[in-house]
Amino acid sequence: MRLRCGGPRTYTPLDGGSRKVCVNSIADGAADLAAAWSRRQLAIYLAWSETVARYRRSTLGPIWLVLGTAVGVVGMGFIWSILLNQDMQSFIPSITVGLVVWQFISGVVTESPGMFVKNATMLVNIRMPVYLITFQAFGRHFINLLHNLVVVLAVFIIFPHYNSWASLAALPGLVIVSINLVAIMQLVGIIGARFRDLEPLVLAFFPILFFLSPVIYRPGQLGAAEAIMTFNPITHYIRVIRDPLLGVIPSLESYLIVLAMTGVTVLLSIWMTGSRAYRLPYWM
Amino acid sequence: MARMKLEGVGVAYPVYNAASQSLRKQIVSISTGGRVSAAKGHVATVLALDDINLDLKDGDRIGLVGHNGSGKTTLLRTMAGIFRPTRGRMLVEGRVSTVFGLGAGMDPELTGYENVTRMAMLLGATQKEAESSVPGIEEFTELGQFLAMPVRTYSAGMTTRLLFAVATAVHPEILLVDEVLGAGDAAFQEKARQRMTEFVARASIFVLASHAPDLMRQFCTRMIKLEHGKIVSDEPIIPDPPQDEKAAVAPIKEQTA
Repeated sequence: MRLRCGGPRTYTPLDGGSRKVCVNSIADGAADLAAAWSRRQLAIYLAWSETVARYRRSTLGPIWLVLGTAVGVVGMGFIWSILLNQDMQSFIPSITVGLVVWQFISGVVTESPGMFVKNATMLVNIRMPVYLITFQAFGRHFINLLHNLVVVLAVFIIFPHYNSWASLAALPGLVIVSINLVAIMQLVGIIGARFRDLEPLVLAFFPILFFLSPVIYRPGQLGAAEAIMTFNPITHYIRVIRDPLLGVIPSLESYLIVLAMTGVTVLLSIWMTGSRAYRLPYWM
Repeated sequence: MARMKLEGVGVAYPVYNAASQSLRKQIVSISTGGRVSAAKGHVATVLALDDINLDLKDGDRIGLVGHNGSGKTTLLRTMAGIFRPTRGRMLVEGRVSTVFGLGAGMDPELTGYENVTRMAMLLGATQKEAESSVPGIEEFTELGQFLAMPVRTYSAGMTTRLLFAVATAVHPEILLVDEVLGAGDAAFQEKARQRMTEFVARASIFVLASHAPDLMRQFCTRMIKLEHGKIVSDEPIIPDPPQDEKAAVAPIKEQTA
């Protein structure tokens, strides 16, 4: 049985009030999240079939994605290692992981403001948890990331001296960053559906963050400008994933910042979902 | 045991134009305090449904009629739980299934089979249920080997066959339909009508929004007329006595004109 009502905090169940489904926005949002999680099989199927559909008509299919990353890594790796006078042995693994993680984060963030608008036909015709749309969109980016790991693997086979058990510390980093990105997607998605200027705004300004993130540079190379990089949260997202792979233990500061960002965005996204997401169909 | 109860349900939604939907306007309104709030008042609000009271129980067969824009689709979407009422109270018991906005979630690059799984799962089926509905869909659509081809290669009629088959594959307790029996050739029309009859017979509560009087008389026992989001009449449909045909058809024709 499902109960619905005229907005948060106004639930008055008709059957005597034994089942108060939504008490407030947080409970509402958490219920949506739980419903989406129980249907994650569908999100995975949607993400996977969309990925397959995209490559079905090309001969090389998914190889194009991997090839694109490989070309970027080789090209940028060579040019920047010469420009910055860097040793290729240590520079190429660093820029490879940095680029792959950057592409992942950038893909997720730039898609989010237009995500719900793009899925408008689903939103106005099918009753579904709002988080489910975020899950499937995030799923596509995660599948892309898995493709790109092939490039990372290849680079680490060519430059093998970093491999150690400590590299496994990259996994919890990836998990926290992923949870954070799902929350950001949901949050930015809802705001972007209401305020349509957000999408061009993000598209225009997000790429600047690339130069404020330690993808090409490495800590210690920016001198006085280093402080700016520290304030860019993406710096820390990259560090908690990349550093273990390069044999460095990420700083406690990076972990704390990523954890704090995750906690805040998850709570905000749940609250936003509970208090605003039911209006999404009206905004389409 | 299915039930759907609406008490004083209203749906009002703001229609944002570029000015009110943009971030700039919101930022300006913050920086200039109360003055721009007058401009914010210019956001037009559409009252799509107003004070709807309904109590539907097992066996109810409702036909929704009314002019374009009278609120039929909004009412169906509210019943389906897509729109949350901005006023009133609502109770829904039973698995709701909708046959409208066919094609939501369809990807033309994927094959018929893959789209069956996608759309059936979107409508609430598990992957297993979706896969087990395939033989029935193969038989009903008669698309044969085309089911293994991308949907973009289908004609409009073939796509309709597929969409209709998927939408009617899972048997719901509460069935909400926005007129669908439009496309397809004559043979398919007949087949679709048969499947629809079976489908409706199994549902506990059935609501159909349509402009077609003959569909109304075939499937519904009660006719509710909407005007400007309000219920203006609610009366039983007399099931088609031949000598009385003119009288039964006339009031419906009036609304569809």
